[in-house]
Amino acid sequence: MKKVYAVLLSFVVSSLMPVLLAQDFGDHSSATLTGKAWEAYGNETYELAMAYINRCKELYLATAKKQQASLSAFPTGEKTHDYYALNDVGTVLFIEGQLREKQGKIPEALAAYRILAEELGFAQTWDQKGWFWRPAEAAAARIKQLEFDAMLD
Amino acid sequence: MKKIIIGMAMTATILFTSAAQAQSRVEITGDAQQGYQLLVNGEPFVIKGVGGSHHFDVLAASGGNATRTWGVGKETPGLLDKAYENGIMVSQGIWLGHERHGFDYSDPEQLERQRQHVEESVNALKDHPALLVWGLGNEMEGLQSRGDSPVIWREINELAKRIKALDPHHPVMTVVAHVNQDKVRAIQQYAPEVDILGVNAYAGAGGIGESLRAYGWTKPYTIAEFGLPGPWEVEKTSWGAPIEPLSRQKAAFYYGAYTQIMADEHLCLGTFVFLWGHKQEATASWFGMFLPNGDKSIRVDAMTRAWSGDWPENRAPVLQEWEIPVFKERVSPGGTFPVRARYNDPDGDTLTYTWEVFHESSDRQVGGDAEQRPDSVPGAVRSTDADGGAELTAPSKPGAYRLFVTVSDGRGGGAMDNWPFYVTAEPSDSE
Repeated sequence: MKKVYAVLLSFVVSSLMPVLLAQDFGDHSSATLTGKAWEAYGNETYELAMAYINRCKELYLATAKKQQASLSAFPTGEKTHDYYALNDVGTVLFIEGQLREKQGKIPEALAAYRILAEELGFAQTWDQKGWFWRPAEAAAARIKQLEFDAMLD
Repeated sequence: MKKIIIGMAMTATILFTSAAQAQSRVEITGDAQQGYQLLVNGEPFVIKGVGGSHHFDVLAASGGNATRTWGVGKETPGLLDKAYENGIMVSQGIWLGHERHGFDYSDPEQLERQRQHVEESVNALKDHPALLVWGLGNEMEGLQSRGDSPVIWREINELAKRIKALDPHHPVMTVVAHVNQDKVRAIQQYAPEVDILGVNAYAGAGGIGESLRAYGWTKPYTIAEFGLPGPWEVEKTSWGAPIEPLSRQKAAFYYGAYTQIMADEHLCLGTFVFLWGHKQEATASWFGMFLPNGDKSIRVDAMTRAWSGDWPENRAPVLQEWEIPVFKERVSPGGTFPVRARYNDPDGDTLTYTWEVFHESSDRQVGGDAEQRPDSVPGAVRSTDADGGAELTAPSKPGAYRLFVTVSDGRGGGAMDNWPFYVTAEPSDSE
């Protein structure tokens, strides 16, 4: 029995090792974790991306919800940056949804999109082209699209 | 002689039909707090519209009720009659000059000619029973600018005022390309005569209502064109070819966008989906909801479901799986590859597959301007079975190509998908 456990442990460690070795949470700020999640997602290293996404949620989701609750409209201009946790957790949830879709894990994708659309509606994501976009709107659209796609089979 | 008499009788019937119907009366009731409502001849009317001038019978059967045109021409009276016969209302476009096409909004002579054209158009068509609203211009504010030119918006206001003087029974809508704060403020400041703002929005159409509110817009709006993200806003291959969403993804996108837009029950009067017809723009299948051969695509079925809550009687084929090894790849000239795309017909119809290779489009325009369809490459691909399999032979001439499959159910339902690939100058060692 001990041998079985040892083999199992060895398998788990060896399969997780590349991800564990590659993980670098930097200063653990939400901005750093979000940037790294985007990068890993772009490189199609999905397990690594999920590690950054999960850490970002673990550290900042509660703050993000508080920031969401304090708003009645989208913040604009420089004030947008004050809602760093809301924006970054909203962004990683969107990445998670996209990533899960690429993996064919539609229920997990929908779960991420629903948290974003229903609980973090005022999140905003900075686009390198020079403007903010609204990940909750994109998530709401993806939910509708995935629900429709499910009707096709 | 018999033919002439029959022809005269038909003309008389058409004239009598048109003359016998009363002019439509359209008004907007409500306000920003309570919500706006469009009334057509006193009845509430939510615009379930399309952009296009064909297939009105399919539109009516699908639960749609309106179409949008972009300008007035010789064909307009006939189009209005055809729409009316099918119970379709028309947002009648009146084309206004674009500065990118050479029109100068500071030239009094050009403005006067344009004003005459607008007034003549209104006088000619205002009594037609199918008329819903006037669509004054389309994206004339400029695609590259912020769209806030006071000169342009003052002129739009002047034109709207003149239209209302001639025809008080149809609201005036002006149509812009997406929105930003400067554009919305300029319209409010310089064009208060505009009743409805039409917004052409592709990616992000579902967020337009929220954006308009954030910019202080309080009048009603429509989404005057919505559809897929354009070729300019999607992922591209390493040689810059835009990757067209697959037919199944397109259908989901249309359905999702429509339901998201229509969740705004306060300011939004409805939508016009683009394009109810066929058009070459980047590819032969990007925006058109019908195939070049006239078959309806799954996007029509998606809108039928969205508009009516039901599927149509005959559904279009649905993409199930595909294997295209050349997709996004650079391949050697003359290389051969097995390819496959499998579709399902929800009604159980037998499907036929046609594979073709086309050159990547080199005639790319902006703002929806007309484009030429590229040439096909004869003999580059042949079907190998009835289940979507084929064999591709990479063209001998280096360059960018697209592999197309067209599927038909033989009953007016079809599908078209494509995958870009590139042929290198020399055979590569890796193959």
